[in-house]
Amino acid sequence: MRLLTHNYLQSNVKGTEKGYPLTIEPTKIEYEESPIDMEFVENILTKIDYSALLSARNQIEDRCHSDLGSDFIVPSLPEVMPKRYSDGNSKDDKIEEDETNQEAFLKSIHTILFDIHVLEGHLVCPDTGRRFNIKMGIPNMILHEDEI
Amino acid sequence: MSRPELTGHASSFYNEKEARKYDSSSRMIGVQREITERAIELLRIPEGKPGFILDVGCGSGLSGKVLEEQGHIWVGCDVSRDMLDVANERIERKREGVINAARKKQNDDLDEEKMQDDDSDDDEDEEPCASTGDLLHHDMGSGLPFRPATFDGCISISALQWLCYSNAKGQIPKKRLTRFFSSLYQVLRRGARAVLQFYPETAEQAILISECAAKVGFAGGVVVDYPNSTKAKKHYLVLTFERAFKAPEGLSEGSLFGSGKRESVRVDRKANNKKGKVHKKKWGKTKDWIVNKKDVQRKKGKDVRPDSKYTGRKRGDRF
Repeated sequence: MRLLTHNYLQSNVKGTEKGYPLTIEPTKIEYEESPIDMEFVENILTKIDYSALLSARNQIEDRCHSDLGSDFIVPSLPEVMPKRYSDGNSKDDKIEEDETNQEAFLKSIHTILFDIHVLEGHLVCPDTGRRFNIKMGIPNMILHEDEI
Repeated sequence: MSRPELTGHASSFYNEKEARKYDSSSRMIGVQREITERAIELLRIPEGKPGFILDVGCGSGLSGKVLEEQGHIWVGCDVSRDMLDVANERIERKREGVINAARKKQNDDLDEEKMQDDDSDDDEDEEPCASTGDLLHHDMGSGLPFRPATFDGCISISALQWLCYSNAKGQIPKKRLTRFFSSLYQVLRRGARAVLQFYPETAEQAILISECAAKVGFAGGVVVDYPNSTKAKKHYLVLTFERAFKAPEGLSEGSLFGSGKRESVRVDRKANNKKGKVHKKKWGKTKDWIVNKKDVQRKKGKDVRPDSKYTGRKRGDRF
């Protein structure tokens, strides 16, 4: 399961007020590099929930250190998304984004969203505590009879 | 061949053996690929613009592969774990291919001077690329576990009809269909479309499916390709948010220029709006028709009750 997919996953169990975002408890992580499409990453930045992404990144960081070796560093992300992406098309004159800074930011986003795969672990609903387990990279979101 | 839907739950029909058979049949792969390409065509996503697509009932990932080839990122969900495992293997193979290719490239760079002749060099002309898909184990009849306005489009290949059969106590097809469609309505972005190819067993099933979709607010219609051929006939339920939707023409034999027979059922909420409360009797059962029919029977010499003020009058509800 990628963090991109996780950013959209929500628990719709009956009676849940807000089943988003799900907390990740990873027990096995894999890294797979993929080609970057800058335009797509820029595009998707306007649509993801940035705070959920930040917390997801923090939740997987420890596991990444143990599973992927100490020379793999999970890219760090700024607390707030650069204005350029959060405000859509408006450009702030004062904040002039460096070309290289921008590219570095997009690359970090790409690595975190696309290249890190949670293979085993759990997703926990922040509201009800319902646990969905992840096996072989596939989260099991099947609901029981009484949860529909 | 009996319909798989009649034998039981999708996850029990598509067990490990069946899943492998499905994924390795070249005929199945060919058919599913064609259907997927047609579905993506009906999605009308602007050329060259990668989208975030939901694949409902993705099975062993045959349709996901086509989505990848067209540059989209996709999330697939299926109720059969065995089918998903086969899909996972496909993704694993790709992943290994990528890692091996990367390693090979590294080695080639180092061995530049040696210029070794490698047999496998000729096979790998194109670089294998990582899969852009993600899988979910989930039952579509219980809704879709995503936050609102997630996807740029949705496809479903040969999966929707499974919702029309109840396989467990308390599973009502209409309820499951309605839950699925209302959930789909929420997780699609405005302006996105859903194209769902399915195999209706009867016309009633096709109507039930269309009605459930219309009730939740979708506009759209069913596009039928090759309506005259039992084998090639394919139904695509195309759902949009645009009220003024015009169903595209279905394909038919020998009509590359669109002169073929068009068959599509337009589904609109207004058709179901009975607020007017005008109780018009169904065609053929008005009083005049009844009186006429009685005359005809009398002429034939049959024993017919005389006409009175009670003839053709609306009866009260039966209990």
